[in-house]
Amino acid sequence: MDFLFQSILNGILAGCIYALFAMGLTLIYGVLNFVNFAHGELIMWGAYFLYFLMGKPFGFPLPIALIPALLLTILLGIGMDRFVFKPLRTANRLTLLIAALGLSFLLRNGAQFLWGAELRTYGFEIKRGLRILGISITLNQVAIILTSIVCIVFVYLLFHRTRLGKSMRAVSDNLELARVMGIDSKHAIQFAWVIASVLAGVGGILLALDTNLQPGMGLINLVKAFAATLLGGVGNIWGALLGGIVIGLAENLGVLVISPGYKDAIAFGIMVLMLLIRPSALLGRQE
Amino acid sequence: MDLFLHLCVMIIIYIIFAMSLNLEVGYTGLFNFGHVAFFGISAYTSALLSLQQVPFELSLLIALAMAGLWGFLLSIPSLRLRGDYFGIVTLGFGEIIRMVFQNEVWFTKGPMGLPGIPKPILFSYRFATLSQYLLLTLGFAALTFLILRIILRSPFGRVLRAIREDEVAAEALGKNVFFFRIKSFVIGSLFAGLAGTLWGHYTTFISPGDFTLLETILVLLIVVLGGKGTEWGPVLGAFVLIFFQESLRFLRLPAEWTRYLAPLQQMIFGGLLIVLMIFRPEGLLKEKGRGSNAGN
Repeated sequence: MDFLFQSILNGILAGCIYALFAMGLTLIYGVLNFVNFAHGELIMWGAYFLYFLMGKPFGFPLPIALIPALLLTILLGIGMDRFVFKPLRTANRLTLLIAALGLSFLLRNGAQFLWGAELRTYGFEIKRGLRILGISITLNQVAIILTSIVCIVFVYLLFHRTRLGKSMRAVSDNLELARVMGIDSKHAIQFAWVIASVLAGVGGILLALDTNLQPGMGLINLVKAFAATLLGGVGNIWGALLGGIVIGLAENLGVLVISPGYKDAIAFGIMVLMLLIRPSALLGRQE
Repeated sequence: MDLFLHLCVMIIIYIIFAMSLNLEVGYTGLFNFGHVAFFGISAYTSALLSLQQVPFELSLLIALAMAGLWGFLLSIPSLRLRGDYFGIVTLGFGEIIRMVFQNEVWFTKGPMGLPGIPKPILFSYRFATLSQYLLLTLGFAALTFLILRIILRSPFGRVLRAIREDEVAAEALGKNVFFFRIKSFVIGSLFAGLAGTLWGHYTTFISPGDFTLLETILVLLIVVLGGKGTEWGPVLGAFVLIFFQESLRFLRLPAEWTRYLAPLQQMIFGGLLIVLMIFRPEGLLKEKGRGSNAGN
Protein backbone atom coordinates (compact mmCIF):
# COMPACT_ATOMS: atom_id res chain seq x y z
CA MET A 1 0.00 0.00 0.00
CA ASP A 2 2.84 2.37 0.91
CA PHE A 3 4.31 1.51 -2.44
CA LEU A 4 1.20 2.74 -4.16
CA PHE A 5 1.18 6.04 -2.25
CA GLN A 6 4.84 6.49 -3.02
CA SER A 7 4.14 6.02 -6.73
CA ILE A 8 1.32 8.54 -6.60
CA LEU A 9 3.59 11.06 -4.91
CA ASN A 10 6.33 10.49 -7.50
CA GLY A 11 3.72 10.77 -10.22
CA ILE A 12 2.49 14.14 -9.00
CA LEU A 13 6.07 15.30 -8.68
CA ALA A 14 6.93 14.35 -12.26
CA GLY A 15 3.57 15.66 -13.38
CA CYS A 16 4.27 19.14 -12.01
CA ILE A 17 7.47 19.24 -14.07
CA TYR A 18 5.74 18.00 -17.23
CA ALA A 19 3.07 20.62 -16.68
CA LEU A 20 5.71 23.35 -16.83
CA PHE A 21 6.97 21.95 -20.15
CA ALA A 22 3.49 21.63 -21.56
CA MET A 23 2.42 25.14 -20.53
CA GLY A 24 5.36 26.65 -22.41
CA LEU A 25 4.77 24.51 -25.48
CA THR A 26 1.10 25.34 -25.65
CA LEU A 27 1.79 29.04 -25.06
CA ILE A 28 4.00 29.22 -28.15
CA TYR A 29 1.47 27.14 -30.04
CA GLY A 30 -1.24 29.57 -29.06
CA VAL A 31 0.65 32.67 -30.14
CA LEU A 32 2.46 31.41 -33.24
CA ASN A 33 0.24 28.46 -34.18
CA PHE A 34 2.91 25.80 -34.60
CA VAL A 35 4.44 23.06 -32.46
CA ASN A 36 7.96 24.11 -31.55
CA PHE A 37 9.93 20.91 -32.06
CA ALA A 38 12.91 22.53 -30.37
CA HIS A 39 11.04 23.10 -27.09
CA GLY A 40 12.67 20.00 -25.62
CA GLU A 41 16.08 21.53 -26.28
CA LEU A 42 15.14 24.65 -24.30
CA ILE A 43 14.44 22.29 -21.40
CA MET A 44 17.73 20.46 -21.87
CA TRP A 45 19.83 23.59 -22.32
CA GLY A 46 18.20 25.19 -19.27
CA ALA A 47 19.41 22.27 -17.19
CA TYR A 48 22.88 22.35 -18.77
CA PHE A 49 23.25 26.10 -18.28
CA LEU A 50 22.88 25.55 -14.55
CA TYR A 51 25.33 22.65 -14.70
CA PHE A 52 27.78 24.92 -16.52
CA LEU A 53 27.50 27.72 -13.96
CA MET A 54 27.80 25.39 -10.99
CA GLY A 55 30.86 23.60 -12.36
CA LYS A 56 34.42 24.80 -12.92
CA PRO A 57 35.53 27.57 -13.43
CA PHE A 58 32.56 29.35 -11.83
CA GLY A 59 31.50 27.03 -9.06
CA PHE A 60 28.51 29.15 -8.07
CA PRO A 61 26.17 27.66 -5.50
CA LEU A 62 22.75 26.73 -6.82
CA PRO A 63 20.73 29.78 -5.68
CA ILE A 64 23.20 32.21 -7.27
CA ALA A 65 23.60 30.23 -10.49
CA LEU A 66 19.86 29.92 -10.96
CA ILE A 67 19.15 33.44 -12.20
CA PRO A 68 21.92 33.64 -14.85
CA ALA A 69 21.01 30.11 -16.00
CA LEU A 70 17.43 31.19 -16.60
CA LEU A 71 18.59 34.40 -18.30
CA LEU A 72 20.71 32.32 -20.66
CA THR A 73 17.70 30.09 -21.39
CA ILE A 74 15.61 33.17 -22.20
CA LEU A 75 18.37 34.37 -24.49
CA LEU A 76 18.32 31.01 -26.26
CA GLY A 77 14.54 31.15 -26.65
CA ILE A 78 14.60 34.68 -28.03
CA GLY A 79 17.51 33.75 -30.28
CA MET A 80 15.57 30.77 -31.66
CA ASP A 81 12.72 33.04 -32.59
CA ARG A 82 14.89 35.81 -33.97
CA PHE A 83 17.15 33.70 -36.17
CA VAL A 84 15.01 30.74 -37.16
CA PHE A 85 11.30 31.24 -36.69
CA LYS A 86 10.96 34.94 -37.45
CA PRO A 87 12.38 34.66 -41.00
CA LEU A 88 9.90 31.82 -41.53
CA ARG A 89 6.74 33.51 -40.21
CA THR A 90 5.15 33.55 -43.66
CA ALA A 91 6.71 30.31 -44.92
CA ASN A 92 4.57 27.24 -45.38
CA ARG A 93 4.11 24.87 -42.52
CA LEU A 94 6.33 22.04 -43.77
CA THR A 95 9.24 24.44 -44.20
CA LEU A 96 8.73 25.80 -40.69
CA LEU A 97 8.53 22.38 -39.05
CA ILE A 98 11.57 21.00 -40.87
CA ALA A 99 13.53 24.04 -39.69
CA ALA A 100 12.30 23.46 -36.13
CA LEU A 101 13.38 19.82 -36.29
CA GLY A 102 16.77 20.86 -37.66
CA LEU A 103 17.13 23.37 -34.83
CA SER A 104 16.29 20.72 -32.27
CA PHE A 105 18.95 18.41 -33.70
CA LEU A 106 21.52 21.20 -33.86
CA LEU A 107 20.99 22.17 -30.21
CA ARG A 108 20.97 18.59 -28.98
CA ASN A 109 24.28 17.86 -30.63
CA GLY A 110 25.63 21.19 -29.49
CA ALA A 111 25.16 20.02 -25.91
CA GLN A 112 26.71 16.68 -26.75
CA PHE A 113 29.68 18.44 -28.30
CA LEU A 114 30.28 20.50 -25.16
CA TRP A 115 29.44 18.03 -22.41
CA GLY A 116 29.49 14.57 -24.03
CA ALA A 117 26.69 12.04 -24.20
CA GLU A 118 27.08 10.58 -20.72
CA LEU A 119 24.61 11.03 -17.87
CA ARG A 120 25.50 13.85 -15.51
CA THR A 121 24.10 15.14 -12.22
CA TYR A 122 24.47 18.35 -10.29
CA GLY A 123 26.54 16.38 -7.80
CA PHE A 124 24.41 16.78 -4.69
CA GLU A 125 24.59 13.94 -2.24
CA ILE A 126 21.50 11.84 -2.11
CA LYS A 127 19.95 12.64 1.23
CA ARG A 128 17.70 10.40 3.20
CA GLY A 129 14.13 11.44 2.71
CA LEU A 130 11.74 12.51 5.42
CA ARG A 131 9.23 9.84 6.19
CA ILE A 132 5.64 10.96 6.44
CA LEU A 133 2.92 8.33 6.78
CA GLY A 134 5.24 5.72 5.32
CA ILE A 135 6.03 7.78 2.25
CA SER A 136 9.55 9.00 1.71
CA ILE A 137 10.07 12.50 0.36
CA THR A 138 13.38 14.31 0.03
CA LEU A 139 13.89 18.02 0.57
CA ASN A 140 14.68 18.32 -3.13
CA GLN A 141 11.30 16.91 -3.96
CA VAL A 142 9.54 19.31 -1.62
CA ALA A 143 11.41 22.13 -3.35
CA ILE A 144 10.34 20.81 -6.76
CA ILE A 145 6.66 20.80 -5.85
CA LEU A 146 6.86 24.26 -4.25
CA THR A 147 8.72 25.74 -7.21
CA SER A 148 6.20 24.31 -9.66
CA ILE A 149 3.32 25.75 -7.68
CA VAL A 150 5.00 29.15 -7.56
CA CYS A 151 5.50 29.06 -11.35
CA ILE A 152 1.92 28.07 -11.98
CA VAL A 153 0.54 30.82 -9.71
CA PHE A 154 2.87 33.28 -11.39
CA VAL A 155 1.59 32.31 -14.83
CA TYR A 156 -1.99 32.61 -13.60
CA LEU A 157 -1.44 36.12 -12.24
CA LEU A 158 0.42 37.14 -15.36
CA PHE A 159 -2.32 36.02 -17.70
CA HIS A 160 -5.28 37.28 -15.76
CA ARG A 161 -4.03 40.29 -13.86
CA THR A 162 -1.56 42.07 -16.12
CA ARG A 163 -1.97 44.00 -19.33
CA LEU A 164 0.84 42.11 -20.99
CA GLY A 165 -0.70 38.75 -20.14
CA LYS A 166 -4.04 39.84 -21.45
CA SER A 167 -2.51 41.05 -24.69
CA MET A 168 -0.78 37.67 -25.07
CA ARG A 169 -4.09 35.92 -24.62
CA ALA A 170 -5.67 38.22 -27.17
CA VAL A 171 -2.93 37.51 -29.73
CA SER A 172 -3.29 33.81 -29.13
CA ASP A 173 -7.06 34.00 -29.57
CA ASN A 174 -7.08 36.00 -32.76
CA LEU A 175 -4.01 37.73 -34.12
CA GLU A 176 -5.80 39.95 -36.63
CA LEU A 177 -8.39 41.15 -34.15
CA ALA A 178 -5.72 41.82 -31.55
CA ARG A 179 -3.83 43.94 -34.07
CA VAL A 180 -6.96 45.89 -34.93
CA MET A 181 -7.39 46.65 -31.25
CA GLY A 182 -3.93 48.18 -31.23
CA ILE A 183 -2.14 45.41 -29.37
CA ASP A 184 1.55 45.26 -30.18
CA SER A 185 1.70 41.66 -31.39
CA LYS A 186 5.49 41.64 -31.83
CA HIS A 187 5.89 42.55 -28.21
CA ALA A 188 3.42 39.88 -27.15
CA ILE A 189 5.19 37.21 -29.22
CA GLN A 190 8.54 38.11 -27.73
CA PHE A 191 7.11 37.97 -24.27
CA ALA A 192 5.56 34.59 -24.96
CA TRP A 193 9.07 33.31 -25.79
CA VAL A 194 10.39 34.71 -22.52
CA ILE A 195 7.70 32.94 -20.48
CA ALA A 196 8.01 29.68 -22.42
CA SER A 197 11.79 29.73 -21.97
CA VAL A 198 11.56 30.37 -18.24
CA LEU A 199 9.05 27.56 -17.79
CA ALA A 200 11.20 25.21 -19.87
CA GLY A 201 14.36 26.23 -18.02
CA VAL A 202 12.85 25.86 -14.55
CA GLY A 203 11.28 22.54 -15.55
CA GLY A 204 14.53 21.25 -17.01
CA ILE A 205 16.47 22.20 -13.89
CA LEU A 206 13.90 20.57 -11.61
CA LEU A 207 13.91 17.43 -13.72
CA ALA A 208 17.70 17.31 -13.65
CA LEU A 209 17.66 17.77 -9.85
CA ASP A 210 15.27 14.87 -9.50
CA THR A 211 16.94 12.61 -12.08
CA ASN A 212 19.94 13.56 -14.24
CA LEU A 213 21.11 15.47 -17.32
CA GLN A 214 21.66 14.03 -20.76
CA PRO A 215 21.65 15.63 -24.25
CA GLY A 216 18.86 13.28 -25.35
CA MET A 217 16.48 14.41 -22.60
CA GLY A 218 14.92 17.10 -24.80
CA LEU A 219 13.27 14.91 -27.41
CA ILE A 220 11.52 12.53 -25.05
CA ASN A 221 10.27 15.39 -22.90
CA LEU A 222 8.94 17.15 -25.98
CA VAL A 223 6.81 14.07 -26.64
CA LYS A 224 5.62 14.08 -23.03
CA ALA A 225 4.84 17.79 -23.09
CA PHE A 226 2.92 17.34 -26.29
CA ALA A 227 0.98 14.38 -24.91
CA ALA A 228 0.05 16.54 -21.89
CA THR A 229 -0.98 19.36 -24.22
CA LEU A 230 -3.21 17.01 -26.21
CA LEU A 231 -4.83 15.69 -23.03
CA GLY A 232 -5.62 19.17 -21.83
CA GLY A 233 -6.68 20.60 -25.17
CA VAL A 234 -4.22 22.41 -27.42
CA GLY A 235 -3.74 26.08 -26.62
CA ASN A 236 -5.28 25.69 -23.16
CA ILE A 237 -2.76 26.50 -20.42
CA TRP A 238 -4.74 25.02 -17.53
CA GLY A 239 -5.49 21.92 -19.54
CA ALA A 240 -1.75 21.54 -20.01
CA LEU A 241 -1.28 21.61 -16.23
CA LEU A 242 -3.86 18.89 -15.72
CA GLY A 243 -2.51 16.87 -18.66
CA GLY A 244 1.01 17.01 -17.23
CA ILE A 245 -0.10 15.61 -13.89
CA VAL A 246 -2.09 12.84 -15.58
CA ILE A 247 0.99 11.84 -17.63
CA GLY A 248 3.21 11.90 -14.54
CA LEU A 249 0.78 9.69 -12.60
CA ALA A 250 0.30 7.31 -15.52
CA GLU A 251 4.05 6.87 -15.88
CA ASN A 252 4.72 6.18 -12.23
CA LEU A 253 1.73 3.91 -11.74
CA GLY A 254 2.30 2.27 -15.12
CA VAL A 255 5.75 0.95 -14.24
CA LEU A 256 4.14 -1.07 -11.44
CA VAL A 257 2.54 -3.12 -14.21
CA ILE A 258 4.88 -2.97 -17.23
CA SER A 259 8.65 -3.09 -17.61
CA PRO A 260 10.40 0.12 -16.44
CA GLY A 261 12.25 0.14 -19.77
CA TYR A 262 9.04 1.41 -21.31
CA LYS A 263 8.41 4.22 -18.81
CA ASP A 264 9.12 6.85 -21.46
CA ALA A 265 6.76 5.13 -23.90
CA ILE A 266 3.69 5.58 -21.70
CA ALA A 267 3.18 9.22 -22.67
CA PHE A 268 3.32 8.20 -26.33
CA GLY A 269 0.76 5.45 -25.68
CA ILE A 270 -1.60 7.94 -24.05
CA MET A 271 -1.14 10.29 -26.99
CA VAL A 272 -2.06 7.60 -29.55
CA LEU A 273 -5.00 6.51 -27.42
CA MET A 274 -6.27 10.08 -27.26
CA LEU A 275 -5.97 10.40 -31.03
CA LEU A 276 -7.95 7.18 -31.49
CA ILE A 277 -10.74 7.95 -29.04
CA ARG A 278 -11.30 11.67 -29.36
CA PRO A 279 -9.72 13.05 -32.52
CA SER A 280 -12.44 15.67 -32.83
CA ALA A 281 -11.96 17.10 -29.36
CA LEU A 282 -8.31 17.71 -30.11
CA LEU A 283 -9.07 19.74 -33.15
CA GLY A 284 -11.57 21.75 -31.13
CA ARG A 285 -9.88 25.10 -31.06
CA GLN A 286 -8.02 25.30 -34.34
CA GLU A 287 -8.30 28.03 -36.95
CA MET B 1 38.53 0.39 -55.00
CA ASP B 2 36.68 -1.31 -52.14
CA LEU B 3 36.16 2.06 -50.55
CA PHE B 4 34.63 3.35 -53.74
CA LEU B 5 32.32 0.35 -54.07
CA HIS B 6 31.31 0.68 -50.42
CA LEU B 7 30.45 4.33 -51.00
CA CYS B 8 28.33 3.40 -54.01
CA VAL B 9 26.39 0.74 -52.08
CA MET B 10 25.67 3.14 -49.21
CA ILE B 11 24.62 5.91 -51.57
CA ILE B 12 22.25 3.62 -53.43
CA ILE B 13 20.65 2.29 -50.25
CA TYR B 14 20.06 5.85 -49.10
CA ILE B 15 18.67 6.76 -52.50
CA ILE B 16 15.97 4.11 -52.00
CA PHE B 17 15.38 5.32 -48.44
CA ALA B 18 15.14 8.96 -49.57
CA MET B 19 12.88 8.19 -52.54
CA SER B 20 10.41 6.57 -50.16
CA LEU B 21 10.40 9.64 -47.92
CA ASN B 22 10.14 11.92 -50.93
CA LEU B 23 6.85 10.25 -51.86
CA GLU B 24 5.47 11.22 -48.45
CA VAL B 25 7.10 14.58 -47.71
CA GLY B 26 7.69 15.84 -51.23
CA TYR B 27 4.66 14.67 -53.15
CA THR B 28 1.95 14.12 -50.55
CA GLY B 29 2.99 16.79 -48.03
CA LEU B 30 3.00 14.40 -45.05
CA PHE B 31 5.22 15.50 -42.17
CA ASN B 32 6.87 12.17 -41.47
CA PHE B 33 9.60 12.75 -38.89
CA GLY B 34 10.02 9.11 -37.88
CA HIS B 35 10.93 7.43 -41.14
CA VAL B 36 13.77 5.53 -39.47
CA ALA B 37 11.18 3.35 -37.69
CA PHE B 38 10.22 1.52 -40.88
CA PHE B 39 13.84 1.20 -41.96
CA GLY B 40 14.55 -0.39 -38.57
CA ILE B 41 11.49 -2.64 -38.42
CA SER B 42 12.42 -4.25 -41.73
CA ALA B 43 16.10 -4.50 -40.94
CA TYR B 44 15.27 -6.36 -37.72
CA THR B 45 12.56 -8.55 -39.26
CA SER B 46 14.70 -9.68 -42.13
CA ALA B 47 17.76 -10.18 -39.93
CA LEU B 48 15.88 -12.27 -37.37
CA LEU B 49 14.30 -14.43 -40.07
CA SER B 50 17.53 -14.90 -41.99
CA LEU B 51 19.32 -15.92 -38.81
CA GLN B 52 16.67 -18.66 -38.52
CA GLN B 53 17.66 -19.90 -42.01
CA VAL B 54 14.55 -18.51 -43.71
CA PRO B 55 15.36 -17.95 -47.43
CA PHE B 56 16.07 -14.34 -48.38
CA GLU B 57 13.17 -14.07 -50.84
CA LEU B 58 10.71 -14.90 -48.08
CA SER B 59 12.30 -12.84 -45.33
CA LEU B 60 12.45 -9.82 -47.65
CA LEU B 61 8.75 -10.14 -48.38
CA ILE B 62 7.85 -10.52 -44.71
CA ALA B 63 10.09 -7.58 -43.80
CA LEU B 64 8.36 -5.37 -46.37
CA ALA B 65 4.97 -6.54 -45.16
CA MET B 66 5.89 -5.68 -41.56
CA ALA B 67 7.00 -2.16 -42.52
CA GLY B 68 3.80 -1.66 -44.50
CA LEU B 69 1.66 -3.07 -41.72
CA TRP B 70 3.17 -0.79 -39.07
CA GLY B 71 2.86 2.15 -41.42
CA PHE B 72 -0.81 1.32 -41.79
CA LEU B 73 -1.38 0.89 -38.05
CA LEU B 74 0.35 4.17 -37.23
CA SER B 75 -1.47 6.09 -39.91
CA ILE B 76 -4.97 5.24 -38.65
CA PRO B 77 -4.89 7.29 -35.46
CA SER B 78 -2.56 9.98 -36.70
CA LEU B 79 -3.26 10.80 -40.34
CA ARG B 80 -6.60 12.43 -39.71
CA LEU B 81 -4.76 15.18 -37.90
CA ARG B 82 -3.14 18.31 -39.17
CA GLY B 83 0.54 18.27 -40.02
CA ASP B 84 2.09 19.33 -36.70
CA TYR B 85 0.41 16.53 -34.80
CA PHE B 86 1.32 13.95 -37.38
CA GLY B 87 4.91 15.16 -37.23
CA ILE B 88 5.15 14.72 -33.51
CA VAL B 89 3.43 11.33 -33.49
CA THR B 90 5.86 9.97 -36.09
CA LEU B 91 8.78 11.54 -34.22
CA GLY B 92 7.65 9.76 -31.06
CA PHE B 93 7.09 6.51 -32.94
CA GLY B 94 10.68 6.51 -34.17
CA GLU B 95 11.90 6.74 -30.56
CA ILE B 96 9.49 4.09 -29.25
CA ILE B 97 10.49 1.54 -31.89
CA ARG B 98 14.11 1.95 -30.88
CA MET B 99 13.06 1.46 -27.26
CA VAL B 100 11.44 -1.85 -28.28
CA PHE B 101 14.62 -3.03 -30.03
CA GLN B 102 16.51 -2.11 -26.89
CA ASN B 103 14.21 -3.67 -24.31
CA GLU B 104 12.95 -6.91 -25.87
CA VAL B 105 16.23 -8.66 -25.20
CA TRP B 106 14.73 -12.17 -25.56
CA PHE B 107 13.85 -11.32 -29.14
CA THR B 108 16.27 -8.72 -30.47
CA LYS B 109 19.19 -9.35 -28.07
CA GLY B 110 18.79 -5.72 -26.97
CA PRO B 111 21.85 -3.46 -27.00
CA MET B 112 24.06 -6.44 -27.95
CA GLY B 113 22.63 -6.29 -31.45
CA LEU B 114 22.37 -9.01 -34.05
CA PRO B 115 25.69 -10.09 -35.59
CA GLY B 116 26.27 -12.45 -38.51
CA ILE B 117 23.33 -11.53 -40.75
CA PRO B 118 23.93 -13.66 -43.88
CA LYS B 119 24.46 -12.13 -47.31
CA PRO B 120 21.35 -12.53 -49.44
CA ILE B 121 20.82 -15.47 -51.77
CA LEU B 122 18.32 -14.54 -54.44
CA PHE B 123 17.16 -17.29 -56.83
CA SER B 124 20.12 -19.41 -55.68
CA TYR B 125 22.62 -16.67 -56.54
CA ARG B 126 24.66 -15.45 -53.60
CA PHE B 127 25.42 -11.72 -53.47
CA ALA B 128 28.54 -11.91 -51.36
CA THR B 129 31.21 -9.59 -52.74
CA LEU B 130 30.98 -5.82 -52.82
CA SER B 131 30.47 -5.58 -56.56
CA GLN B 132 27.78 -8.26 -56.49
CA TYR B 133 26.01 -6.42 -53.69
CA LEU B 134 26.28 -3.19 -55.62
CA LEU B 135 24.52 -4.88 -58.52
CA LEU B 136 21.75 -6.10 -56.23
CA THR B 137 21.10 -2.68 -54.68
CA LEU B 138 21.33 -1.02 -58.08
CA GLY B 139 18.65 -3.39 -59.38
CA PHE B 140 16.35 -2.67 -56.45
CA ALA B 141 16.96 1.08 -56.70
CA ALA B 142 16.07 1.07 -60.41
CA LEU B 143 12.95 -0.93 -59.61
CA THR B 144 11.95 1.52 -56.86
CA PHE B 145 12.58 4.49 -59.13
CA LEU B 146 10.41 3.01 -61.87
CA ILE B 147 7.57 1.95 -59.58
CA LEU B 148 7.46 5.35 -57.88
CA ARG B 149 7.61 7.09 -61.26
CA ILE B 150 4.65 5.06 -62.54
CA ILE B 151 2.72 5.73 -59.32
CA LEU B 152 3.41 9.44 -59.36
CA ARG B 153 2.59 9.96 -63.04
CA SER B 154 -0.70 8.11 -62.68
CA PRO B 155 -3.97 9.81 -61.69
CA PHE B 156 -3.26 8.56 -58.16
CA GLY B 157 -0.07 10.61 -58.07
CA ARG B 158 -1.89 13.70 -59.27
CA VAL B 159 -4.38 13.34 -56.43
CA LEU B 160 -1.50 13.16 -53.95
CA ARG B 161 -0.08 16.42 -55.26
CA ALA B 162 -3.52 17.99 -55.22
CA ILE B 163 -3.88 17.03 -51.54
CA ARG B 164 -0.51 18.58 -50.80
CA GLU B 165 -1.45 21.85 -52.48
CA ASP B 166 -5.00 22.19 -51.22
CA GLU B 167 -6.61 19.59 -49.05
CA VAL B 168 -10.02 21.20 -49.08
CA ALA B 169 -10.12 21.48 -52.87
CA ALA B 170 -9.18 17.81 -53.23
CA GLU B 171 -11.91 16.90 -50.78
CA ALA B 172 -14.38 19.02 -52.72
CA LEU B 173 -13.52 17.05 -55.87
CA GLY B 174 -14.71 13.93 -54.11
CA LYS B 175 -11.32 12.52 -53.17
CA ASN B 176 -11.11 10.84 -49.80
CA VAL B 177 -8.01 12.64 -48.53
CA PHE B 178 -7.59 10.32 -45.56
CA PHE B 179 -7.39 7.13 -47.71
CA PHE B 180 -5.03 8.66 -50.23
CA ARG B 181 -2.74 9.75 -47.43
CA ILE B 182 -2.79 6.28 -45.85
CA LYS B 183 -1.91 4.69 -49.19
CA SER B 184 0.96 7.10 -49.73
CA PHE B 185 2.23 6.50 -46.21
CA VAL B 186 2.04 2.71 -46.52
CA ILE B 187 3.83 2.70 -49.89
CA GLY B 188 6.50 4.99 -48.43
CA SER B 189 6.93 2.69 -45.44
CA LEU B 190 7.28 -0.35 -47.72
CA PHE B 191 10.14 1.19 -49.66
CA ALA B 192 11.80 2.43 -46.47
CA GLY B 193 11.57 -1.23 -45.44
CA LEU B 194 13.32 -2.27 -48.64
CA ALA B 195 16.17 0.12 -47.87
CA GLY B 196 16.36 -1.18 -44.29
CA THR B 197 16.50 -4.82 -45.37
CA LEU B 198 19.24 -4.14 -47.91
CA TRP B 199 21.20 -2.19 -45.33
CA GLY B 200 20.94 -4.88 -42.64
CA HIS B 201 22.17 -7.63 -44.97
CA TYR B 202 24.95 -5.37 -46.17
CA THR B 203 26.45 -4.40 -42.81
CA THR B 204 25.68 -7.90 -41.39
CA PHE B 205 25.39 -6.38 -37.89
CA ILE B 206 22.54 -4.26 -36.56
CA SER B 207 21.85 -2.84 -33.10
CA PRO B 208 19.32 -0.36 -31.69
CA GLY B 209 21.92 2.43 -31.92
CA ASP B 210 21.73 2.28 -35.72
CA PHE B 211 18.14 3.52 -35.77
CA THR B 212 18.21 6.89 -34.07
CA LEU B 213 16.90 10.32 -34.94
CA LEU B 214 20.12 10.85 -36.90
CA GLU B 215 18.88 8.51 -39.65
CA THR B 216 15.60 10.39 -39.90
CA ILE B 217 17.38 13.73 -40.05
CA LEU B 218 19.85 12.46 -42.62
CA VAL B 219 17.20 11.09 -44.97
CA LEU B 220 15.06 14.21 -44.54
CA LEU B 221 18.08 16.35 -45.33
CA ILE B 222 18.79 14.27 -48.45
CA VAL B 223 15.25 14.88 -49.66
CA VAL B 224 15.12 18.61 -48.99
CA LEU B 225 18.67 19.26 -50.15
CA GLY B 226 18.16 17.41 -53.43
CA GLY B 227 14.77 18.97 -53.96
CA LYS B 228 11.57 17.57 -52.52
CA GLY B 229 8.91 16.58 -55.00
CA THR B 230 11.41 15.90 -57.79
CA GLU B 231 12.39 12.56 -59.32
CA TRP B 232 16.13 13.12 -59.20
CA GLY B 233 16.32 15.19 -56.02
CA PRO B 234 16.81 12.23 -53.64
CA VAL B 235 19.49 10.82 -55.95
CA LEU B 236 21.45 14.05 -55.98
CA GLY B 237 20.98 14.63 -52.24
CA ALA B 238 22.16 11.12 -51.39
CA PHE B 239 25.29 11.50 -53.50
CA VAL B 240 26.28 14.73 -51.79
CA LEU B 241 25.45 13.83 -48.20
CA ILE B 242 26.42 10.17 -48.03
CA PHE B 243 29.68 10.98 -49.76
CA PHE B 244 30.33 13.59 -47.07
CA GLN B 245 29.32 11.31 -44.20
CA GLU B 246 31.08 8.14 -45.31
CA SER B 247 34.29 9.82 -46.40
CA LEU B 248 34.68 11.31 -42.90
CA ARG B 249 34.82 7.73 -41.62
CA PHE B 250 37.73 6.88 -43.86
CA LEU B 251 39.92 9.86 -43.07
CA ARG B 252 41.49 7.82 -40.23
CA LEU B 253 41.26 10.65 -37.75
CA PRO B 254 42.57 10.05 -34.24
CA ALA B 255 40.10 8.15 -32.07
CA GLU B 256 39.81 10.86 -29.42
CA TRP B 257 38.51 13.24 -32.10
CA THR B 258 35.38 11.19 -32.76
CA ARG B 259 34.01 12.27 -29.39
CA TYR B 260 33.83 15.77 -30.91
CA LEU B 261 33.52 14.97 -34.61
CA ALA B 262 30.30 12.94 -34.40
CA PRO B 263 28.24 15.67 -32.69
CA LEU B 264 29.90 18.31 -34.85
CA GLN B 265 28.86 16.50 -38.01
CA GLN B 266 25.32 16.17 -36.68
CA MET B 267 25.27 19.86 -35.78
CA ILE B 268 26.16 20.56 -39.40
CA PHE B 269 23.21 18.42 -40.55
CA GLY B 270 20.82 20.27 -38.24
CA GLY B 271 22.20 23.66 -39.19
CA LEU B 272 22.04 22.80 -42.88
CA LEU B 273 18.34 21.96 -42.52
CA ILE B 274 17.67 25.38 -40.97
CA VAL B 275 19.73 27.29 -43.53
CA LEU B 276 18.08 25.43 -46.42
CA MET B 277 14.60 26.12 -45.09
CA ILE B 278 15.29 29.80 -44.66
CA PHE B 279 17.18 30.50 -47.89
CA ARG B 280 16.28 27.76 -50.35
CA PRO B 281 13.36 25.60 -49.20
CA GLU B 282 12.95 24.04 -52.65
CA GLY B 283 16.44 22.49 -52.59
CA LEU B 284 18.97 22.14 -55.38
CA LEU B 285 16.54 20.86 -57.99
CA LYS B 286 13.28 22.69 -58.26
CA GLU B 287 9.99 20.95 -58.85
CA LYS B 288 8.65 21.71 -62.32
CA GLY B 289 5.46 23.65 -62.69
CA ARG B 290 5.42 24.81 -59.13
CA GLY B 291 5.44 28.51 -58.40
CA SER B 292 7.70 29.89 -55.73
CA ASN B 293 4.71 30.99 -53.71
CA ALA B 294 3.03 27.59 -53.75
CA GLY B 295 2.31 26.19 -50.33
CA ASN B 296 -0.51 26.08 -47.91
